[in-house]
Amino acid sequence: MSSRPDSDADGSTSADARGSERATSEKFTGSGLNRVEDRRILTGEAEYIHDKAPESALHMALYRSVHAHAEIESIDTSAAEDHPGCHLVLTAEDIKADYNPMPAGLTGFEEWSLADGKVRYVGEPVAVVVADDRYVAEDAVDLVDVSYDTLDPVVDPRGAREDETLVHEDFGTNVGDHEELTFGDPDGAFADADHVVEGSYSWGRISGVPLETAGVVADYDDDSDSFDIDCNIQLHTLVDDTVYDTLGYDPDDVNLDVPPDVGGSFGTKIAIHRYCCLAAMASKELNRPVAFVEDRIENLQGGDMHSTEREYDVKLAVDDDGTIRGLDFWFVDDFGAWPRYPVNQVLKPLSVLTNAYDVQDARYEYDLVLTNKTCQTAYRGFGVPAHLYALEMIVDEAAEEIGMDPDALRRRNLIESDQMPYELPSKNIYDSGDFPAALAHVQEKIEDERDGGLLDPEVVEAKRAEGKYRGARPTVHIEPGVSGSDWTDRQRSNRERLADRDRDDVAELPEHLRAEIRPDGTVRAFLATDSSGQGHQTLVTQLLADELGVLSSDIDVRYLDSVEAPTEYGTAASRMAVMVSGAAKGLGEALTENLETLAAEVWDCPDRDVVYRDGAVERAGGERLSLAALAERDRERPDDDRLTRASYDYQHPATDLEEFDDALARKLPVYPTAAFAANAPIVEVDAKTGEVEILKFYSLRDCGTQLNPTIVEGQAHGGLAQGIGAALLEEFGYADDGQPQAITMFDYRLPSIENIPEMELDHTETPSPFTPTGAKGTGEGGMIDGPASLACSINAALEPLDVQADQIPFTPNRVRERIREREDE
Amino acid sequence: MSVNDISGPLDYPTEEIALSVNGEEVTAEVEPRHKLSDFLRDARGLRGVRVGCEHGVCGACTVLMDGRAVKSCLTYAVQADGADIETVEGLADDGALHPIQESFHEEHALQCGFCTSGFVMATKELLDSEPDPDRDDIEDGLADNICRCTGYQNIYDAVLRAADRMDGEADDEGAADDEEATGDGATETEADR
Repeated sequence: MSSRPDSDADGSTSADARGSERATSEKFTGSGLNRVEDRRILTGEAEYIHDKAPESALHMALYRSVHAHAEIESIDTSAAEDHPGCHLVLTAEDIKADYNPMPAGLTGFEEWSLADGKVRYVGEPVAVVVADDRYVAEDAVDLVDVSYDTLDPVVDPRGAREDETLVHEDFGTNVGDHEELTFGDPDGAFADADHVVEGSYSWGRISGVPLETAGVVADYDDDSDSFDIDCNIQLHTLVDDTVYDTLGYDPDDVNLDVPPDVGGSFGTKIAIHRYCCLAAMASKELNRPVAFVEDRIENLQGGDMHSTEREYDVKLAVDDDGTIRGLDFWFVDDFGAWPRYPVNQVLKPLSVLTNAYDVQDARYEYDLVLTNKTCQTAYRGFGVPAHLYALEMIVDEAAEEIGMDPDALRRRNLIESDQMPYELPSKNIYDSGDFPAALAHVQEKIEDERDGGLLDPEVVEAKRAEGKYRGARPTVHIEPGVSGSDWTDRQRSNRERLADRDRDDVAELPEHLRAEIRPDGTVRAFLATDSSGQGHQTLVTQLLADELGVLSSDIDVRYLDSVEAPTEYGTAASRMAVMVSGAAKGLGEALTENLETLAAEVWDCPDRDVVYRDGAVERAGGERLSLAALAERDRERPDDDRLTRASYDYQHPATDLEEFDDALARKLPVYPTAAFAANAPIVEVDAKTGEVEILKFYSLRDCGTQLNPTIVEGQAHGGLAQGIGAALLEEFGYADDGQPQAITMFDYRLPSIENIPEMELDHTETPSPFTPTGAKGTGEGGMIDGPASLACSINAALEPLDVQADQIPFTPNRVRERIREREDE
Repeated sequence: MSVNDISGPLDYPTEEIALSVNGEEVTAEVEPRHKLSDFLRDARGLRGVRVGCEHGVCGACTVLMDGRAVKSCLTYAVQADGADIETVEGLADDGALHPIQESFHEEHALQCGFCTSGFVMATKELLDSEPDPDRDDIEDGLADNICRCTGYQNIYDAVLRAADRMDGEADDEGAADDEEATGDGATETEADR
């Protein structure tokens, strides 16, 4: 049911001015090649982390805090230790002498892998128990006896800033980090504008909640004094320091190996290092492999995996004619008990500061607060979804204030295609796109629905008589793609000295890819990242098959562990399509050059006399050396000087673009691709029950050149489903005493097949001028643009009742509450 | 016939159960508290049974018990005594994927794959009882399974494709044996093996 109206007939588009090869219909890249990952999954043969424990493994379970905030008076582990089948109990006291605190996202915090003296959230691990199997381990956990002296909990993010109760006494305040950034002249814009509108909006605590929880099998080797750790951590080549620093070992002695199949992550599994460390410590103590798989209640309650929870106060300056003059964002983000690495989620929105609008004067300020809730991790969109939601809500407010049609107001302020590439006031650059055309496309769909369709005035009127309010409001959203520099540690840097940085000071994170020709002439490639369902093996198969002119069945893609792989970034920030395609191109060139050298050596002729083509090197006269033949000849060369192997590190696309120098040097978020979507969900709100039903979801999506349209479409569907969950269903609520209210999947409501409406997705392809293939990052799109666009359509539906979606998720309870508040006024 | 024992070195009470797993007759000693999911995974090595929530919401552990979809995390192994259990490992026929598996592959109805075994088994129950499902049938049949990656559209399309394909196969077989054609395709597969 999806169509691709504006792409070329063969589904490909000329990529860019940098001379990349045009994808033709004979190529694998650009086709919807079926995934190579599927068969092992469909037959049940795929091995996820919970399939990795060897028979000799012992099993770990955790005693977790039942209080939100309390001093630990004493811990009695004797009964647990005496329990038959229990091998080990560890508390903070047992690990502090030999190990280190876990690295934190901000300086000034000392977080041990087990609660040290005080618990700061329900579910915080206090003791480790290791036993023969998980059943016995949990029996023993029940025998751990902890006595507490409870403290007042800090639960409300705005209230936390008052510092009445401190989550961390040593740090002295609950505001872990704060920054105010000013771009252009917002004061002038707000002083000059005809109107200033203000609004406050909430974004509830949500997260990715992948179907597979965190898991680890740690195996300490006494002889080499090193650890082999199988785990499903995300970014194992980047965040492995959270494990080896905690253990106090060299990176080469702590080998993180992620299974080829990980049951989803969406960012969340970058912060599972605590489990890896605890299992490793237990394994070293017992000299046995120790396995742990988090159960779902642990995961939801205290698994360090919640994400963004924000309260926004936003201002917008607008003139009578609808010109948006300035924007002013203030928000508080509730990071829970400890500031983990993803603290920079509060900064990523700077990369799409004004969304699709042409506004040059803006202020952006945040307070990152610490409370008695489980810690935050990353989640698809990395702080952007909440920003776009708050921005679109204030735009709706402005339309109402000046009495202008919201569609007209939006259209008036959109960045025009002739302004591309467009530099935002916050210095990131949108590479390409025609936002007005995208908006017009979905507006047309809605106009059609007004003529005898779901939004026909007669239908809308009849439904309203039944208390059902329908509406749709088209919006355009930008998905920032492909991060890759040191801005991510801005909050651990001395910010006053950033102005003095040179472009040369910027540390960048490439993507590594390597390959070798096997004796049978097939190609084995190695990814240095981990995957969790994105189809990277398929993507590399397509790309390398095209680069080398061989069949996709001749390519076998595997993964490197953290010791084999160089430190690089990996799967995050909608990076992989762009980064891996760049890496595959470079690798293909390096490998063919090697093979030509080898063939010239074999034939004893100059390199220029030979040429690589479609799986063989040829020379005049029709002589050919196949890949298998070349592999055989290469074995005569020394092992460390083989020519049938090559590797390539693809630098980030912004590296060579001077336009980004200023942003990179100042550690401002740089995301050089701007995928975009114009959405128009049609919603129906039942004023009696408060239920929001999505009748149909129109979306026009553009992520530049599509390397695999099937996978692109899959990412869009999956992202939008998460966006729907975020907007309407999902929330980790907390009671005033700090007890989490969503600790099962009954309470944390994920969308099911019954919640997903009919989707009509169209695609255009506006190639990126900044990337080798014209592709843009698109791994996060639907989650980024879904919630804001749904909130806008809800506003449209509830306009007659003067109700606005000021809190996400907009649950039936909240909808009813808002409607009643208006009725009472 | 094989015997399994997943009880540890401790003197926990055990019960003997006898059941059929993917067509193989099995007897085993299990603790009464062992979940069917753990029994199938740990004692039988059927790792395609995925455990996602252990409280009966996500459906990743769905298997067929006497032809009915059950959440094996909410079923104790002792409850399966005398039952006929089918898991995703029993679907492919000598390496050839079952039409449901083929259809999930072709429609890109899986991404991370952790929910896939459960969806495939729930689909099998649905199509065994309703070979020609409409949208409501599919929503009802799969409402107990959660997928966090695909957004369901492709799963929905895969079920329709599988129904078409199984209908086609049933028609082919129908020429030989009309009764069998409308019956349970998977039972035949079991028997063939």
